[in-house]
Amino acid sequence: MGSAVDAEGEPNAQRGREHGHGDGHDGDGGHDPPAPDDWPRGFGEASWWPVVTAVGIAGLYFGVALVLLARGEDPLVGRRLPPVVLVGGTAVFLAGLYGWTYHGFVRSYRERAEPAVGDAVDLHWGMVLFLATDVMTFSAGFVYYFFVRTGSWPPGELPPLLSSLVLVNTAVLIASSVTLHVAHEGIRDGHRRRFLALLGLTVLLGLVFVGGQLLEYYELLVVEGTGVTDVFGSAFFALTGLHGLHVGLGVALLSIVFVRALAGQFSAERHTAVSTVSMYWHFVDLVWVILVATLYVGSVA
Amino acid sequence: MLETIPGVVVAAVIAAALLAYYRLRSGRPARSFADGGTASVTVGLTGTEKPAGLLRWFTTVDHKDIGLLYILFGTAAALWGATDAMMIRTELLVPETAIWNVETYNAVFTTHGFTMLFFFVTPVFTGIANYVLPLLLGADDLAFPRINAIAFWLLPPSLLLVRGGLITDVMGMVLGVLPLDVSALEALEPVGMGWTMYTPLSVEMANPQISVALLGLHLSGVATTMAAINFIVTVLTERPDDLGWDRLDIFSWNILVTSGLILLAFPLLGSTLIMLLLDRNFGTTFFAIEGGGPMLWQHLFWFFGHPEVYILVLPAFGLISLILPKFCGRRLFGFRFIVYSTIAIGVMSFGVWAHHMFATGMDPRLRASFMAVSLAIAIPSAIKEFNWIATMWNGRLRLDAPLICIIGGLSTFVVGGITGVFLAAVPVDLVLHDTHYVVGHFHLIVVGVIPLAMIAASYYWFPLITGRMYNQRLARVQSLLLVVGSFVTFLPLLVLGYEGMPRRYGVYPAEFITLNQIASLGALVLGVSVVLWLVNMVQSARVGPVVRDADVWNLKETGQFTREWQWFEERLEERRDGSTRPESSPERTRAGEDTDSDSDSDSDSGSD
Repeated sequence: MGSAVDAEGEPNAQRGREHGHGDGHDGDGGHDPPAPDDWPRGFGEASWWPVVTAVGIAGLYFGVALVLLARGEDPLVGRRLPPVVLVGGTAVFLAGLYGWTYHGFVRSYRERAEPAVGDAVDLHWGMVLFLATDVMTFSAGFVYYFFVRTGSWPPGELPPLLSSLVLVNTAVLIASSVTLHVAHEGIRDGHRRRFLALLGLTVLLGLVFVGGQLLEYYELLVVEGTGVTDVFGSAFFALTGLHGLHVGLGVALLSIVFVRALAGQFSAERHTAVSTVSMYWHFVDLVWVILVATLYVGSVA
Repeated sequence: MLETIPGVVVAAVIAAALLAYYRLRSGRPARSFADGGTASVTVGLTGTEKPAGLLRWFTTVDHKDIGLLYILFGTAAALWGATDAMMIRTELLVPETAIWNVETYNAVFTTHGFTMLFFFVTPVFTGIANYVLPLLLGADDLAFPRINAIAFWLLPPSLLLVRGGLITDVMGMVLGVLPLDVSALEALEPVGMGWTMYTPLSVEMANPQISVALLGLHLSGVATTMAAINFIVTVLTERPDDLGWDRLDIFSWNILVTSGLILLAFPLLGSTLIMLLLDRNFGTTFFAIEGGGPMLWQHLFWFFGHPEVYILVLPAFGLISLILPKFCGRRLFGFRFIVYSTIAIGVMSFGVWAHHMFATGMDPRLRASFMAVSLAIAIPSAIKEFNWIATMWNGRLRLDAPLICIIGGLSTFVVGGITGVFLAAVPVDLVLHDTHYVVGHFHLIVVGVIPLAMIAASYYWFPLITGRMYNQRLARVQSLLLVVGSFVTFLPLLVLGYEGMPRRYGVYPAEFITLNQIASLGALVLGVSVVLWLVNMVQSARVGPVVRDADVWNLKETGQFTREWQWFEERLEERRDGSTRPESSPERTRAGEDTDSDSDSDSDSGSD
């Protein structure tokens, strides 16, 4: 089920990485066709990638719908069809994203002129606005939690949440924000080695956090036998699950930035993707701190 | 489902054959049409920037093409939703359920709401904004052209998911004649829980299509949010340096505020829908009695739902503010205050949601505060209304179809708006809640203002978009019919509400029959009007007189020849010159295939 939530995150997050048309407030420099490199070739204003991406996303949603229809004692559809549509849709979606971002950003990266300062401003705004939508995406879950938290509490036996694992995980995530920020400072000042090392460390710390989160889920679900769908479990697993998906997406984005950094695609003048992904990562970090304060500490305080 | 695959394959083959046929037909561009028409300057075929034929529409990243796709999609959805509306009014012709059964009635008013709100109004306004916003700003395109295209292409599948129950039933009937198992298709029925999807009903209804529809609504929300982000970034970053905030046009202001509302309202709805989906399918407790309860659903839903009301109507206000002065020969009166009132509505719209919940037994102190804000939001709306009237004062009114639409819209807005002030008062609402008074109130706005503004825009920019003129006499008749139809349909509903007829019932006491029949008659007038509009649009786009002077509305003499018309004038001049002018090279191929007598030498479509 997470995939439906995830699907909202991914295309939006990729928005921050949209095509090179971003450097285009050319009031007097003539029209800059938005998609010069895209298939079909030879047309500045035509691209197959949007419709491919949209078909992929639609496949994902249809797949989730079929999964739901295949559940229960009297399933409406066979068990083989839903995973095929779901996996197929996701594959087409990822292919569309890849083609789009590759043709939009990467393919003619070297040939393109150095953008002037402030040219990536629309990409930055795109990320800021996406994060605003994300605040609202998280809000619904928080509102549910506050609704039940202000009622009779506790609603049942609460699982043991405050352990050293949460402390370590929180420390790891905050540390990753620091390393990413220093890495970003590094590329802005032209310190490439520092940038690469700290960016790599950030990816590693992100992975450690995901591992810690999985360990916590294992402890809660398998060892403790916490209910996933009871009053507290609904809030806990919805919010931490949604956050976990965000961290996963963040690690993927950071890895892409890392690979591009290894290929030498960022410099003191050109580092838009580093900036936008940083914004995303710091935001996810902030959400985690709020989660710990309200959901972990707040449930027993 | 696997067993039905042969049927799907057959359908796919037929679709592919049709596609190939149209590809073949449209592959060779016609120089002229059989009925004497010619290709237009603006929608006309293009040389190097875009492929020809069907391929162009599937691959386009041009804001104008995507705008047209949005408008076409929204119009198709509107016709579908209007069919639902006509079914509702047909059922209500008689007190008993003589025509459809109760379940069908429930399904029809539910899908009517979904289709009109999510797939008609917002897509059409997104389409209009797509087309004209960059032209009004003087920008090349929207900030993210590919995102723009993705956002559009997500809408058709989401409509399929939301309206799946009907589609699968029809497919089941068609495929049922073949030796196939269609029970899965028949198990999905059109959803009938009301567009507000109140729990616990929406959790407990067995119809599996509800879950599918929730996914479709979520997907449409993703698409709408993507478009909103695109508009905000475009207004923020793609303006030329000489276009400051003080000179931003009124339509762009409205789209900016609307997009801001979408940005905060739709993602919350998205999460809320997923929570309902989890409650339905996995037994979580978000809206269960022991968890958040039905009140949580109502709070979350209306926190989206009330801003949604303004998401629907603010673009209409923007169009009225933009077009009205053009037909009065005067500048918009109180421009700055209209902008302030738009922003005020945007901010306050997030503080009024609980006025939909006055009858739920919520805390009276909360009720009072929401009543205060709900009454106060009438003030910025009234500021707009009075400024529009002041714009017309002493103006030279030209009663062309767009102005008829707008004056009609202003008058329906007075009735629709003031009935809203009554409903915002707790004691009145407790009496009128869930009666036809509420239906009459908001339909006077969503039918009386929004489509009128859209149709005004469709007439106003028709020459710019198609390069042709529409039939003006037919347009005037059609506009008048729409205004009259709105009043005849929805004023009786206000009276019915006062008399106590509840909404959402297919059967009603016999004493209400006369007013219901008047309302149904009004709906018929609305239907006729829509058909006339459609005929005018299609036929004029094919064979309407070709526009040769870009100043269709005599805007130059009052100094209102705005940027989008200047852009149109450049296109016309290029076609007339038949040459490519360097400063507007991007559009030089736009004239494309062109068989106008004065530009037979124009052959630039092949030369570059």
